[in-house]
Amino acid sequence: MDLFVFLALLQDGITTGAIYLLLAIGLLIVFSVTRVIFVPQGDLLAFGTLTVASLQSGHLPGTLWLLDGVAAVALVVSLCRGGRAAVMGVLAWGVFPLVLTLAAVLLAPYQVPAISILLALAIVTPMGPLIWRFAFRPVAGASVLALLILAMALHFVLIGAGLVFFGPEEASAPALTEASFDLGTLNVSDQSLAVLLCCAALVSGLRWFFGATIHGKALRATASDRIGARLVGIDAAATGALAFGLASFIAALAGVLIGAVTPLSYDAGFDIGLKGFVAAIMGGLVSYPMAAAGAVLVGVLESLVSFWASAYREVIVFTLLIPVLVWLSLRSGSPEDRA
Amino acid sequence: MRRWFVLIVIVAIVAAPVLLPEFYVTLFGYVGLATLVALGLVLLTGVSGQTSFGQATFVGIAAYSTTLLTRFEGAPPVVGLAVGLILTGTIAWLLGLITARLSGHFLALVSVAWGISFFSLFGTLPALHGFNGIGDIPPLRIGSLSAANPRVNLGVIWVTAAIVMAISANLLDSRVGRAIRTLNGARLMGESVGIDTVRLSRSVFVIAALYAGIAGFLFAHFQRFINPTPFNLGASIDYLFMVIIGGSESLWGAPLGATLVVVLRDQFNDWIPRLTGRAGDFEALVFSLVVILLLQRVPSGLLPLLTRFAPPRRPSAALPRHPPASPLRHPPASPLRHPPATPRRHPPAAFPRHPPACPGDLSRQGAGVDPPDEPGDDVGAVRGDGGGAMPVDGGRGIPTLAKWGKELLSLEGVSRNFAGLAAARDVNFNVHACEIVALIGPNGAGKTTLFNLISGVLPPGSGTIRLFGQPGGNLAPRQVAALGVARTFQHVKLLPARGVLENIALGTHLSGRAGLWRAMLRLDRAEEATLLATAREQAIRLGLGHVLDMPAGDLPLGQQRVVEIARALCLRPRLLLLDEPAAGLRLPEKQHLAALLRQLRAEGMGVLLVEHDMDFVMQLADRVIVMDFGQKIAEGPPDQVRSDPAVREAYLGGVT
Amino acid sequence: MRARLFAAAAAVAFLGVSAEAQAQIKLGAILSISGPGAAMGVGYKGAFDFFPKEIGGVPVEYIVRDDATDANVGFTAAQRMISEDHIDAFIGPSLTATDAAVAPLANQAHVPMLAMAPYEYDPAKQPYTFSDAQPLSLMMAAVFKYMQAHGVKQIGYIGFSDGWGDQVLAATKQWSQTDGMTILADERYARTDTSAEAQVLKLMSVHPEAIVMGTSATPAALPVVALRHRGFKGGLYGNHGIVSPAFIKVGGAAAEGVIAVTSPVVVYDQLPDSNVVKPVAAAFMADYTKQFGPQSINPFAGYSYDAMLLLKNAIPIALKAGKPGTEEFRVALRDALEKTHELVGVSGVYDMSPTNHNGQDARAAVLVEVKDGAWRAIQ
Repeated sequence: MDLFVFLALLQDGITTGAIYLLLAIGLLIVFSVTRVIFVPQGDLLAFGTLTVASLQSGHLPGTLWLLDGVAAVALVVSLCRGGRAAVMGVLAWGVFPLVLTLAAVLLAPYQVPAISILLALAIVTPMGPLIWRFAFRPVAGASVLALLILAMALHFVLIGAGLVFFGPEEASAPALTEASFDLGTLNVSDQSLAVLLCCAALVSGLRWFFGATIHGKALRATASDRIGARLVGIDAAATGALAFGLASFIAALAGVLIGAVTPLSYDAGFDIGLKGFVAAIMGGLVSYPMAAAGAVLVGVLESLVSFWASAYREVIVFTLLIPVLVWLSLRSGSPEDRA
Repeated sequence: MRRWFVLIVIVAIVAAPVLLPEFYVTLFGYVGLATLVALGLVLLTGVSGQTSFGQATFVGIAAYSTTLLTRFEGAPPVVGLAVGLILTGTIAWLLGLITARLSGHFLALVSVAWGISFFSLFGTLPALHGFNGIGDIPPLRIGSLSAANPRVNLGVIWVTAAIVMAISANLLDSRVGRAIRTLNGARLMGESVGIDTVRLSRSVFVIAALYAGIAGFLFAHFQRFINPTPFNLGASIDYLFMVIIGGSESLWGAPLGATLVVVLRDQFNDWIPRLTGRAGDFEALVFSLVVILLLQRVPSGLLPLLTRFAPPRRPSAALPRHPPASPLRHPPASPLRHPPATPRRHPPAAFPRHPPACPGDLSRQGAGVDPPDEPGDDVGAVRGDGGGAMPVDGGRGIPTLAKWGKELLSLEGVSRNFAGLAAARDVNFNVHACEIVALIGPNGAGKTTLFNLISGVLPPGSGTIRLFGQPGGNLAPRQVAALGVARTFQHVKLLPARGVLENIALGTHLSGRAGLWRAMLRLDRAEEATLLATAREQAIRLGLGHVLDMPAGDLPLGQQRVVEIARALCLRPRLLLLDEPAAGLRLPEKQHLAALLRQLRAEGMGVLLVEHDMDFVMQLADRVIVMDFGQKIAEGPPDQVRSDPAVREAYLGGVT
Repeated sequence: MRARLFAAAAAVAFLGVSAEAQAQIKLGAILSISGPGAAMGVGYKGAFDFFPKEIGGVPVEYIVRDDATDANVGFTAAQRMISEDHIDAFIGPSLTATDAAVAPLANQAHVPMLAMAPYEYDPAKQPYTFSDAQPLSLMMAAVFKYMQAHGVKQIGYIGFSDGWGDQVLAATKQWSQTDGMTILADERYARTDTSAEAQVLKLMSVHPEAIVMGTSATPAALPVVALRHRGFKGGLYGNHGIVSPAFIKVGGAAAEGVIAVTSPVVVYDQLPDSNVVKPVAAAFMADYTKQFGPQSINPFAGYSYDAMLLLKNAIPIALKAGKPGTEEFRVALRDALEKTHELVGVSGVYDMSPTNHNGQDARAAVLVEVKDGAWRAIQ
């Protein structure tokens, strides 16, 4: 293998690594705040790709109707609660979906990539808080394991919905840019650069959010000590919704980005989500820098292994997880009680 | 009622292969196979608290093993079974080694990883024919009898499932079964009574994998065609769904869940396309929605809902009806029967201040006597008079005697820091046989830290800890327990859903030897009777005889502490560490406890107890050690300590 | 609980069990309607809308089940069809792996099976297995003839890492040897892979003149896009599995100029009028495109339709020997199928014999090329 090939593979690996990093961040945010291991995040990624592809071809995506339907239920529920919840509910689950639907109906036929992308992001992002509201919040106090099992069940629901809405075929997202440039002998596609830039922008945006805004700090507080946060008046339900909202936004964005490089079908998101989750595990589910390192490692390793033994790619990437976890476990002490 | 139910099930198992139409024969064959895997998961997840998202992998390993051997090498199915189980068990054992220290969700995630890994491997190894699968697998046969007929096969599957269920039930109803229950959230307590929790959880994991392996073997010869798909992550998740929907606490949850999931999936696959006109689209979606609803509404599964209608269990049949003759015919006179006439403010003068004479003087105490050299003593029992030799119990629940005054525990210069906080600083003291030492001090003084250091829960800092003359700082908790040190905990650690007797019987773990195999095959009944008798004795001794079958969690907190003490006594300890034993007890109960502790002291035990109840401490202890901020600030007889100005300052804060 | 369930199940089953003889003919179809092969499955299923409701005066019921592109699901579906639905014949399965799984079942139960995917079998050992999908070697022969005529000498191969990739490679090896070509490289990727960049790079590094593809359906577009993106200028030749509108849609501009081979029905309107298949194909496609749109033309519907034509030809003969639902009927059906002579379908002309249960010849292979966003016949 010569340098050219190696650099090409490296470029590929880093691009996919950036996607895995995005997903790992989303997973970490959700886990630290709600203790849910948000496995279906990958499915939301696929939703992002398929939604934008659908809009780009001039059709209204099924996810729009799904959003409308579930938002309607949420609206009814919040109206029943009355008071402030009702007001928030009308805004979030009444006005927003209505405006969004109108925008989609009016603008989708123009098939402008930028608009399709924005619409797709706007459609998929609210699914996070809705999932939190209806799937996880009712059992928010359950053990991590029970929540993980629930997340797995939810994954099947989402891919079932994906199959119904989008059919079994693959679709591509419009590229942000078709251009590319040459760096020596290496051909770097602008899309790859765009992925890296978006990733960097998101990471720094999140850092600002967590550091400077009150909502971000509330999230961090809840992540650090759930009960303490509630004792000082932080609304656990709202922070959960915010965490899920961030995760679904990240997933939708990742779907739009990676979908231009690789066509995805309704069930292809899960694998990508799993690898993002491998990266998060490498950070022990607590550390962002370690997860970043893990994401790049997984991406590059996957790329290199594809070259040498593509059939065994999945085997190698997932078996990689096991020594990492051994190493993590050696750092911990004697068996502890799990109350 | 239970017997009738079992009878119905047996009749169903026999009748089904004969009566059911062919398609249902196949369907219930799959239910039976799923039940096997689910039984393993009940043991793994429900009872021992581990979780695996990779059970389908073990099904696959065994299925492929037997397929390759019987289809391509012409070996008889028995060989396929043996190789499959050996392979499955070995891989499970290795995985268990790797994941030994991981906590709940990490273990689950690793199982996801290996599940995907092996599934990919199944699909890519050329020898396994990938996704085209391997067909023409020969049917099961024993000699010339062939199970090519699916009905015969169905019978084989269900008989196997019934056998596996029976041995699992035997396992859970045994010494090992009790130990397994501590793995689910009470590992520390398990270690403190001598259970090797790491090794045991690995064993349960291997057992669950072996059950899955049996299912894999039967599956290959039942369907006679395999490809990787039934061994993917979705299948593993399905098995978990079965256990969760059926109820993971009881073995019956496995067949219930398996039936529901397999039948529901099949019915959905049949009806939903007919309703919607679109095949392949909605079934998984609807099924998963149903699962989510069940997970939210019925988190402990459906079995508890169903058994609510069954009549309550009769008292435990495990208790031997005629316990072996116990020397403790006359339990010590309990203050409950004769409340003292004097108020308890002033320590009664009758209580001796110095330790009574110990070995050989029991007759003076009027309690049950342990005559020396009774036939039937354990081989290896050595009397304590040899000085330095290890006294071993003769098997009757009474600790034999250490030499009076022999040092049981010594701490020299023991310190322990937690990231800058000195929880213990240069602590020196010791505890001898036949004495009760009290460790007192304000909250946060480091008393429980010392307990944890002594009993091996915390790794040592600096200084020396000696147990029975040997260095003890580096021992694991179960090694400490094996030496003869028993402890209770500040926050009660019991199995709240299990009966009081069972909780107490945990303390007898080290006295028993029956392992997994003997338990499964029910060869441990004699030993079990002995162990339970011991537990019963201690229970009665501590006044718990009337609540033996009650779930331990139903007792008031003070009584739960007494259960812990009874459990500790079952270990036949020579040194007893009690962490706030009197907290939550009412006065008569405290007096009973005090009397018991005195008797134990007279019998040669050393007791180190942490307490906040000063009356209790002062009238009971021979010596009091006061700690503050991790340091020992006073030591001596109760009166002397009580009037020590440093002690006063520590408690009351600088009053002149 | 279980006991009650058993009792209920038994009761339902007894009620549902039907008599041996049936009032209607039952044909079972196992198609890949979901999963990675679903793009093909849609085509296979579409033809069913045009199947006759009765054959030989007897009403026909079509039972369609999904195998989710997995042989195991297909296997259990087939078991159910045989034992519960009591079908008289299989239309399909439409997936090679499922064919391999179901064939032993069908042969053991004496149910004729019309495999609709390229599946290698020995008619002597599997008398109840038939197929209407053109054998790979037949189709690849046409491709290699074209390549030889254009002076291609050194080729690279990229295919799936499963049985399909192996089969196409075998045909490639067979014809490249005959036509004097060298295979420089053999790269594989999994159907579910999201990227084939590495394989593409390896292929290009040996500089083949042309690349033969052992892929199918939408995943086939992956290496095509990558190859063109990386600047590969040589010819790209595919098998009949890649000829579908989805391939062009996903491949986009990169798909232009890809050459493949396909059933006549796909380019029915470009066939010369002398072609005997044209009238049958045109009639079928007229109805099909009216319902599903002009973009929906695909070869898979053709296989389903041909299976139906074969059965429609054979059933009246079998009805003379027995009633539907009986073993006699199925045996007679098998015999009648084996005697099919010059039956014109939409994918070719069928001429069966005891040693050839497929019966197609060169009339079943038409060379096509992607031109201006559609598959056009090469004249």
